Amino acid sequence: MHPVLRLVNRNITISINPGFLIWQIIFPLIYIFVAGFAYTSLIDDVPFENTKLDYPTYLATGMIGFNIMNSTLISGIIIWNDRRHGMFEQIMAGPFTRTDYILSNICTIGIVGMLSAAIIAFVGYPIFFDSIEFSAFTLPILIFASIFGSILFGSIASIISTRLRSSEGFNVIINTVFLFFAFVSTAFYPVSGTPEPLATAFYINPLTYLVDIIRAGFFGTFSNFIITEMFVLIILAVGLFSIATRLLTRLDF
Amino acid sequence: MDRGSDRIVSCIVTNLLSKSYDNVIAVDGIDLDVKSGQVFGFLGPNGAGKSTTIKLLTTLVQPTSGSVTILGINAIKHPLKVRNRIGVVLQQPSYEPTLTVEKSLEKYGMMWNVDRKQRKDKVEELIESFDLQEIRKKKNEDLSIGQRRRVQVAREFMHEMELLFLDEPTIGLDPSARRKLLDFLKNKVKTGLTIFYTTHVLTEAEYLCDKIAIINKGKIIAVDSPDELKNRFGNEKTIKIHMAGIQQNLLKLLSGIQDCKIDFNSGTNITINSNKSELVLMQVLQLLNKNNIIIEDLSAMPTNLEEIFIKAVNDSNASSS
Repeated sequence: MHPVLRLVNRNITISINPGFLIWQIIFPLIYIFVAGFAYTSLIDDVPFENTKLDYPTYLATGMIGFNIMNSTLISGIIIWNDRRHGMFEQIMAGPFTRTDYILSNICTIGIVGMLSAAIIAFVGYPIFFDSIEFSAFTLPILIFASIFGSILFGSIASIISTRLRSSEGFNVIINTVFLFFAFVSTAFYPVSGTPEPLATAFYINPLTYLVDIIRAGFFGTFSNFIITEMFVLIILAVGLFSIATRLLTRLDF
Repeated sequence: MDRGSDRIVSCIVTNLLSKSYDNVIAVDGIDLDVKSGQVFGFLGPNGAGKSTTIKLLTTLVQPTSGSVTILGINAIKHPLKVRNRIGVVLQQPSYEPTLTVEKSLEKYGMMWNVDRKQRKDKVEELIESFDLQEIRKKKNEDLSIGQRRRVQVAREFMHEMELLFLDEPTIGLDPSARRKLLDFLKNKVKTGLTIFYTTHVLTEAEYLCDKIAIINKGKIIAVDSPDELKNRFGNEKTIKIHMAGIQQNLLKLLSGIQDCKIDFNSGTNITINSNKSELVLMQVLQLLNKNNIIIEDLSAMPTNLEEIFIKAVNDSNASSS
């Protein structure tokens, strides 16, 4: 078996535990089925591109992007745990290169990201079933979003994990950053109607691009703006991945 | 493991190997030649450069200058080729907290591409050899420091290797686990494994090592077999005398004897170090007899490795200052 695959196998074994599964499945389901329906009385239809969606549908598709982002946290957690518990050094003293280690993390977050996106899409499907407009682009767009979203957020988590050694520091920073990403984005509510500084903040947040692309894939609402968002997502993912790789390569023992 | 030849070949050869960090020299031009099939002890005080040397030899860090050849491979040019053929147990703990002991052994074997059937057999063999039966289902995070260390060392034997680096492997182990590990290692060496072993416990080095190098301030200050080191540094012997009652004027009595260094005196117990131990012992006995001092117990011991180590390091410190 190739060294990268062996490390992916190991990464998945150490990451998949009951806590992680609860975080990845139960948490978004509560959002979709409790918050989604509860807020229906407050939020009527939500405008998205040239269409309107009911709030549970809007939220369920937003939760796919949210879940991809959350799942990539494991990349940071793997790196941080490996450094804290001496496994990074041990792996580097074994039959692996740093490139193998970095690629295995990317593959792990890609797999976990796509699986969690698929699970939430499957569970939320009855809710957004009526609004879906399948086309030849739907699946490729969703795979594109899962892969580049995973790389982007995985790189951010990796960068944070390479800079921090204390568990308190790591938890505070990662939770603050991901809380900002989650709630200052179009995952939960549309940008239209939000006050100006907040509306701008939505678009310095990559999660906004990710969920916009996912929704465009599901509801067939492609526009030049969505295509621009796809390019921004690619550029950010590649840029942050380069920084994360550089930092990981420079990690000293 | 290729043990096709009985020829003694060099497993580790370094030439003027150096490593500096921000103008601090951690390893200063060391030359090593470790032959295959032996346990090579690497001793030194804290901060002497032991762990940095291990990191250089295991390709974890790149040297500032010099060369390293491991198992005939240029370790600077081909680090991965080297790492594929060695095993490393580093000084700091390394473990996956959420995995059970048997799962972490199994996964480590998988990481080294050991096939499934062989992994299963190895896990059982190592659980037996390292007394891990009672904790096999426990998670690593729930183990004591000593148990975790045992798992860490056991884990390295999940894969085949020609050369094993052990950086203070007995830290946290109780005496019986320590002895069991040393015997396990001795048996492994009989099958052709070469071990590069660092420790602070000099009795371990004496028990296990065929050759010993002492490093101080990044430089090798002595390399030889334990017996040869004793011959070189250990002319001095220790004489211990236990007397029947407290002797107030003992120091005054012994002050006339040449080369009689009194190391400890409690009035009833006295420890003397001397390079001419036979002569000094005779004179001390005559003196005690003449003064009607009754001896209850007497022993003369050759210098142990610990004393040699301290002497070598002190000599090196004195000459460098």
